[in-house]
Amino acid sequence: MKTVISLVENDNGRLRRTGLEMATKAADLAKQLGVASGAVVLGKGAEQAAEQLKKTPVDTIYAGADVPLDGFLGDPAADALEALLKQTGPALLLVPATNLGKDLAARLGVRLNAGVITEASDVSAKDGAVVVQSPKFGGSVLSSIQFKSADYQIVVCRANSFAARDEAGKGNVVTLAADGSKQYPARIEEAVAQEAGKLTVDEAGIVVSGGRGLGGPEHFDIIEALADALGGAVGASRAAVDAGWIPHAHQVGQTGKTVTPQLYIACGISGAIQHKVGMRSAGIIVAINKDGNAPIFEFCDLGVVGDLFQIGPELTKLVKERKGAA
Amino acid sequence: MKIVVTVKQVPDTNAEKTFDPATKRLNRSSVENVLNPFDEYAIEEALRIKEAVGGDSTVTILTMAPQSGVDIVRKALGMGADNAVMISDPAIGGSDTMATAYLLALALKHVGYDLILSGTQSTDAINSIVPAAVAEHLGIPCLTYAKKVSVRDGSIEVQRETESGYLRVSAQLPALVSVTKSINEPRYPTLKGIMGAKKKEVKALTLADIGADAARLGDQGSKTAVDSFTTVGARAKGTVIQASDPREGAQKIMNFLIEKKLI
Repeated sequence: MKTVISLVENDNGRLRRTGLEMATKAADLAKQLGVASGAVVLGKGAEQAAEQLKKTPVDTIYAGADVPLDGFLGDPAADALEALLKQTGPALLLVPATNLGKDLAARLGVRLNAGVITEASDVSAKDGAVVVQSPKFGGSVLSSIQFKSADYQIVVCRANSFAARDEAGKGNVVTLAADGSKQYPARIEEAVAQEAGKLTVDEAGIVVSGGRGLGGPEHFDIIEALADALGGAVGASRAAVDAGWIPHAHQVGQTGKTVTPQLYIACGISGAIQHKVGMRSAGIIVAINKDGNAPIFEFCDLGVVGDLFQIGPELTKLVKERKGAA
Repeated sequence: MKIVVTVKQVPDTNAEKTFDPATKRLNRSSVENVLNPFDEYAIEEALRIKEAVGGDSTVTILTMAPQSGVDIVRKALGMGADNAVMISDPAIGGSDTMATAYLLALALKHVGYDLILSGTQSTDAINSIVPAAVAEHLGIPCLTYAKKVSVRDGSIEVQRETESGYLRVSAQLPALVSVTKSINEPRYPTLKGIMGAKKKEVKALTLADIGADAARLGDQGSKTAVDSFTTVGARAKGTVIQASDPREGAQKIMNFLIEKKLI
């Protein structure tokens, strides 16, 4: 292996929250393995994103601002990464567990005949080899996985798995050239940003989720206010999503997202196994529910049996007061 | 139009799992296996597209599974799919995601397709890797995470879920689409459907039929290997308090968050 490279996603020059932690991890692994490190950022705003990545300890930042990510789905990014990795030679590529990241891992895996390991909650180096920890079967089992002989190794990393560190590396910025006029088969006709700029449930360090106990879509404002005060994202149980109270992108659980925030606050969620598998790996779980027999009270760190409609706003007020005072 | 839906059997989420220490694989015989819940959305969407397009459209179910996997195939046929293809071979066991995608792509080439549908992920591994890898092998447009699909005159348009909204993406057929659970409400097999499913063709294909190289499958053909499994213990039950006074309840949560340095 010659290099460890992390793919970092950017939204018009704003790094996705996981970007700094992924770049830091790439630099640390590269150091342990005695190889070079890099971070690659593609699409509009890549230059601005590259500036932000200079805070992390990576050696080289590859910026491809002309790669037409907003015109075509997946293909331009796959081509740019394939070209880069063929140029760098045998590499470990870390990608974020986003929809685009997972697609790219799969497609580069085929193109580079690479090994691919997904849902990593940790990546480390042991005796010169890469070892990946990955929860399986709804988090009931933690597997330790290694690559066999493969020139290229790809790991899809869950958000909130690594810590970002402010430590400027060499900060070399290399511009990746792209043919802006090339056409690809899957064309993006329109991008609809319903919740632009908001933290997503899978990248947030704090998630506040609402369930059936909210009783209706109008009460999600309690959840939103608390999430905003804490600087977190809004999640939901299947019941709330199926009732049409909130879009599926917010769903945590078996048929939604698997999240690993430092803090998960479940409001009016009973805690059925289908929900539990999506959030059981959270650092701390707090539950508020009026039903003292709800299963969630069996596995939360702090459970409060009471009226969510009153406790929620009170808690939001206390959080705001404390943050205001600090 | 020929629509093929790739499906997988997975252990029931509620089942207790055990692992064979020698092979480091799940003891699949000891748990109840079910049709991957995500695949039901793909089957439903395939049936709706078939109904909308009409003509001589067909829906074929494709799976790689041990013989016991025939139960999930029958369920899919009971929902209304026309026929099924199963690839069963001991050499397949232990294949990782990339080996699985290689095999499915070869099987799809053998079976033929205009549109391939799949679930976005399986509930056992949650990889979401196989659909995109299959599309890459086949060199066809890869339209994953679709929450809406429309097919017209050889072209397809999907709404792809993103972290902040959706993208409207268009392509020409043939194409591969993976669907999310927002797309539809899967139908239940009717009694008539279940009875009819018994008469539908379930074709068995061998590795030789599809030209698969056994060296690229199973443990030996996989580029990743599991070294160990650790069962994650149940989370310890924490403190549960009754909050008759909401202010007091909120204050207790606040104190806890401060103590845990979360705020």
